[in-house]
Amino acid sequence: MKKFTHVFLVVFFLFVIATAGLASDTILIKNGTIIPVKGGSSGVSDLLIENGKISQIRKNISVPTGIKVIDATGKFVYPGLVAVMTAIGVTGYPRAGNDTDEVGTSTPHMDPYDAINPEDDCIEVTRVGGVTTVHTVSGSRSVINGKSVILHLEGTLAEDMIINRYVAQIFNMGATEQNKYPSTRPGVVSYLRNMLNQAKDYAKKQSEKDQKSEQDKKSENDKEDFSKRDLAMEALVPVVTGKVPVVFITNSEVTIRNALSLIEEYKLNGIIRAGSGILKYADRIAEANIPVIWAGTESVPQRWEPHDLNFHTAAVLAEKGVLFTFDSGGYGPGSRNVRNINRPAAISVAHGLQEKDALEALTINPARILGIANEVGSLEKGKVANVAIWTGSPIQERSRVESVIIKGKLIPMSSFQTRLFDKFRKIVHERMKKK
Amino acid sequence: MGKKFLLILAAMILMAPHIWAQDIALKGGTILTITNGTIENGTIVIQKGKIASMGKDITIPDGIRIIDVTGKFIMPGIIDSHTHIAITDGNEATDPVTPQILMWEALDPGSDSIRKTLAGGVTTVKTMHGSANVIGGVNVSIKLKYDRPIDDVIIPGVRQQLKMALGENPKRVYGERGRSPSTRMGNAYVARKAFVEAQEYKAKWAKYEKDKAAGKKDLTPPKKDLKMETLKMTLEKKFSIDCHTYRAEEIVWIINFCKEFGLDLLQISHCIDGYKVADVMAEAGVFYGGWVDSWGFKEEAYDGCPYGMQIMYEAGTKMVINSDSPVVGRYLFREAAKVLKYTDIPENEALKMITLNAAESMELDDRIGSLEKGKDGDIAVFDKHPLDSTTKCLMTIIEGEIFFDYAKQSVTAKGGSR
Repeated sequence: MKKFTHVFLVVFFLFVIATAGLASDTILIKNGTIIPVKGGSSGVSDLLIENGKISQIRKNISVPTGIKVIDATGKFVYPGLVAVMTAIGVTGYPRAGNDTDEVGTSTPHMDPYDAINPEDDCIEVTRVGGVTTVHTVSGSRSVINGKSVILHLEGTLAEDMIINRYVAQIFNMGATEQNKYPSTRPGVVSYLRNMLNQAKDYAKKQSEKDQKSEQDKKSENDKEDFSKRDLAMEALVPVVTGKVPVVFITNSEVTIRNALSLIEEYKLNGIIRAGSGILKYADRIAEANIPVIWAGTESVPQRWEPHDLNFHTAAVLAEKGVLFTFDSGGYGPGSRNVRNINRPAAISVAHGLQEKDALEALTINPARILGIANEVGSLEKGKVANVAIWTGSPIQERSRVESVIIKGKLIPMSSFQTRLFDKFRKIVHERMKKK
Repeated sequence: MGKKFLLILAAMILMAPHIWAQDIALKGGTILTITNGTIENGTIVIQKGKIASMGKDITIPDGIRIIDVTGKFIMPGIIDSHTHIAITDGNEATDPVTPQILMWEALDPGSDSIRKTLAGGVTTVKTMHGSANVIGGVNVSIKLKYDRPIDDVIIPGVRQQLKMALGENPKRVYGERGRSPSTRMGNAYVARKAFVEAQEYKAKWAKYEKDKAAGKKDLTPPKKDLKMETLKMTLEKKFSIDCHTYRAEEIVWIINFCKEFGLDLLQISHCIDGYKVADVMAEAGVFYGGWVDSWGFKEEAYDGCPYGMQIMYEAGTKMVINSDSPVVGRYLFREAAKVLKYTDIPENEALKMITLNAAESMELDDRIGSLEKGKDGDIAVFDKHPLDSTTKCLMTIIEGEIFFDYAKQSVTAKGGSR
């Protein structure tokens, strides 16, 4: 009997170890130069990943044999990059058709969660480029576009990938309509005011109803409430109550100013996504602690502007203490190259931004802006193990990504592009041999 | 007095072509020659617009303006062999065959796009119309001499290129109007029909010229047809061809088509699938013109693969990186750095893709694209190695004349924003 118990215990422990192993990998990254971005200093060290989290960062971590060890000697270990304003998961590739930008001037209830395709080819292409977490938006072309979500670029079901739903609503201050209201920028502002007023009324009624139903729980009839649900208003209530931030897409001085007015007027939790014209308002934005998604680094300046005005803008934002990240440009025609989020950062460093600030803008800042800084954006004990091992700084466009770990899982460094490379390299060489 | 004044004036007018060409020496920089390695702490002297001497121990002639570039990097002016800057018009999208369109007739040397492109170290571009038409018109190769008269800007004596376009764009533009071409078969037919007619046109004129030379009387010359004139000149190799196409089957098609009609195909632009037929392109000696890692922005661009350049390198395909855009045209050196990310192509070969190779694809490699004695004094000065992503261009010089100077033209130099 005693013997049987022993056998049982051994089998039981083996089972526990096996299932723990299935859940995520235990990985030791040895001797890499760790750049934590936040919460520690850079230097050669080891980093241990257990149960999907970063469990230790220190020198000479020893692990039992059989544990996956990555020798990162001479390599650089960075937190996975975080890219905002992407369409990853809803780009429609391959063969799903585009699923961004639902028709309508106001579609606040559109939710990317309902369309996320875990087989989107952009996922692999982007993560082998060192980007591990993205902010995917429902659209950008309407005045009120809808919700946006945070995805880790690993998983076979949308539920596995999405870590936060409804992290921000997306408004576009320049989304004028053709031949119908609102066809001008002031029209967009008054349209938004009207919607926000309605949402405030709806929120008030809802809270009154909630209080009432608390008091007369037994006598109230719930059916009445359900018949009056307004899904668009429900999506705007957390916006007007300040619980969910709004990204204001702006492309000019006028639209930035209009966004700032609405943020103040309705006490919104606003984020300014700016394509140009941000420097004039930088002081006001810094003072109000409004985060910025700077999308204009690569925009060509106006005829009267210095050629490097936009190259230099991030440096000014950093000097003024504005919390900012770079726009991935990932929800329009360029949406396939979110991996190039380091491009605007590199240009900005060339034109005065400190490399440290640039790295923060690619990692911890977007995490802070979207309320996920406790989970991602730096290499710190307890954070989700989203890690990329680079041959050099991500600020250098020639640097390669050698390994990527997402949620503690070592990612295969392949994409449809590496598969095309393998296939056609073979084909071309075979044809050359025949000649 | 008046006579003397007129003489001086006449002398000035005679000297006019050289009035802007300055003599200049850059001293103390790291010179990336492209063709002959790197010269540390070197000096380069430009006289009458050409590189007069270059090396470590160079005597700078008296009276020459010297610019100290100690610690800086000097490379040949960057060349973009496929862009759409400095033109007032895009597509004559009224007919799929418009070879009569000549892009120098839309050239705007005062275009602000030139000022901004110069700031990226670019000195020469081939600018062109869009890709709406199967046969669109004739491109123009220019030096980025901002706001100068057009005769100074257009590179003299160079063979210009007829631009063709296959694939989705002509299909869409004409198909959507219920016209042909609406398929790739239609594109092929339109191109073949045009060149078959041009062959007949050429034969008609040849017969007329022959009869005329033989002294035959009562001859009526064939009717001049401007479309046919350009195509005839293309058959006579007075124009070469740059063809816009994405897909592998079209790349092979245009190579065969040009063989069939005896046309000089120099570059295939937007060449997304080039790596799939790298060996075919190498054998034809045609340049890959395209981006490093763009993909998926349209259906036919879906198979864009940044690793593909490695296959083309192994197959011996000649490659140039193009901007195709006023945005990326300002930092082609950054694109070259990405070649090193995705392939094992050496640094100098990556730099060639924005200099010497681009010059060769425009048949200008005897004049520009590398730093060699006798070549044009077209130079870009960078504060760090041009493949270091934290670099910026400090100075752009064309034929000895400074056209961009960071110290004077940047927002940073003024110590703040506007």
